[in-house]
Amino acid sequence: MALLKDKDKTKVTNTLKGITKPVTIVMFTQEIECQHCEMTRTLLEEVSNLSDRITLEVHDFVADKELAKKYGVDKIPATVLIGEKDYGIRFFGVPAGYEFNVLVQDIRDVGKRDPNLSDKVLTELAKIDQPVHLQTIISPT
Amino acid sequence: MDFPTFSIDTSLLEEATEPDPEFTYDLLIVGGGPAAMSAAVYAARKMLRCAMVTRDFGGQIRETSEVENWLGFQNINAKDLADSFEEHVKSFDIPIKLGTAITAITKQGGIFTVTTDDGTSYHSQTLILSTGKHHRPLNVPGEKELVGKGLAYCATCDAPFFKKKKVVVAGGGNSAFTTVLDLLKVEASVTLINAIKGWQADTSLQERVKQKGAVTLLDNHEIIRVEGSDQVTGVVVKNRDSHKEDKLQADGIFIEIGLLPNSDPVKDLVELNEHGEVVVDCLSQTSVEGLYGAGDVTTVPHKQIVIAAGEGAKAALSAYDYLMRKSLI
Repeated sequence: MALLKDKDKTKVTNTLKGITKPVTIVMFTQEIECQHCEMTRTLLEEVSNLSDRITLEVHDFVADKELAKKYGVDKIPATVLIGEKDYGIRFFGVPAGYEFNVLVQDIRDVGKRDPNLSDKVLTELAKIDQPVHLQTIISPT
Repeated sequence: MDFPTFSIDTSLLEEATEPDPEFTYDLLIVGGGPAAMSAAVYAARKMLRCAMVTRDFGGQIRETSEVENWLGFQNINAKDLADSFEEHVKSFDIPIKLGTAITAITKQGGIFTVTTDDGTSYHSQTLILSTGKHHRPLNVPGEKELVGKGLAYCATCDAPFFKKKKVVVAGGGNSAFTTVLDLLKVEASVTLINAIKGWQADTSLQERVKQKGAVTLLDNHEIIRVEGSDQVTGVVVKNRDSHKEDKLQADGIFIEIGLLPNSDPVKDLVELNEHGEVVVDCLSQTSVEGLYGAGDVTTVPHKQIVIAAGEGAKAALSAYDYLMRKSLI
């Protein structure tokens, strides 16, 4: 049974219509999937089918441990968004609920190669001269 | 597998509103009649990134009262049918530019550009032209000035305004005779004026009018002027044999002398026939690659709702096949 209803699909399609460049979604699950892994994979399959500029790669966290290490994936389900390079965007857990908005908007931003930030913010970010680790922890409400 | 606990929020994602002038759509559908609406449904179901540009929804269905040949309905109110078509299209969240006329359609570098009368341009890889037809004008003095002041082109819309009044109907075909019947329902006193010799309407329709008896039939007379300042007061007619002119008093005039295709925006782009209709083949393809035609604006004969809807579906599927074949989607 599809996770996205027709109405959801049209909104995702509308949001993704501005994509001009390829986006690769790298998803890590495992051979015997937990429920959240299966849910995430199903959701990403449905989303990637809504734009011909999105490619979905599904990897086994155990069998492809070198690739998982390369992307800094230490838990699953994990979703990595890649454009012409790895921007460091990771989703751990199911990007459902309110975070689904963020997932789709991030795919759009990567596909447009446009972070959707003001010049002022970009100027400030350019001043950062050492690695910074940001991690947002959310919970369903 | 079902996921009963799964839910998503899409409140921050984009609703379909107006088309984006910065975006190149897979398909632009120009027009809002049954051909255009059917094309939109088929395009949406193929997940094409498509948008519509139209003045309004419904096309000529909005100018009739009842439809008796739409499969599945022995009789359906025309407005209800048009509304249901529109609702179906809008269920897909297709971006729609409404309320504007098309001023130009061009193709450059494989991309179509549709420009509207507010100066906005929209772009696409393929285009379906389904702009329908409009009423042929008499092109006589007084016509333009008196539109809406007793001079009308749509009996379904305006006949009730002429209850028990004197009305002239210009024309000799089916639409003219149907207009006469609509006016007789509101007890108008009607004079039907045909510019050529011999009535062109179906015999059965002519018989129905003649049986009413309350109609003056004036054959072989040309309307040379519509008179009135703030309101129609009469028409001047000329006998085409004797050249004798007569003035007829009238409170209104309905012009029912046929329809002209709305092909002006593409007249310098695609092949048209001698009637100005867009020439299409059996795949709805025009003379320009990637440009498809559907409905009354095309050379496809028999201008019917069901045919227009079928042609619209075919045009959308042809556009989809073209985009696939060319690896454009």
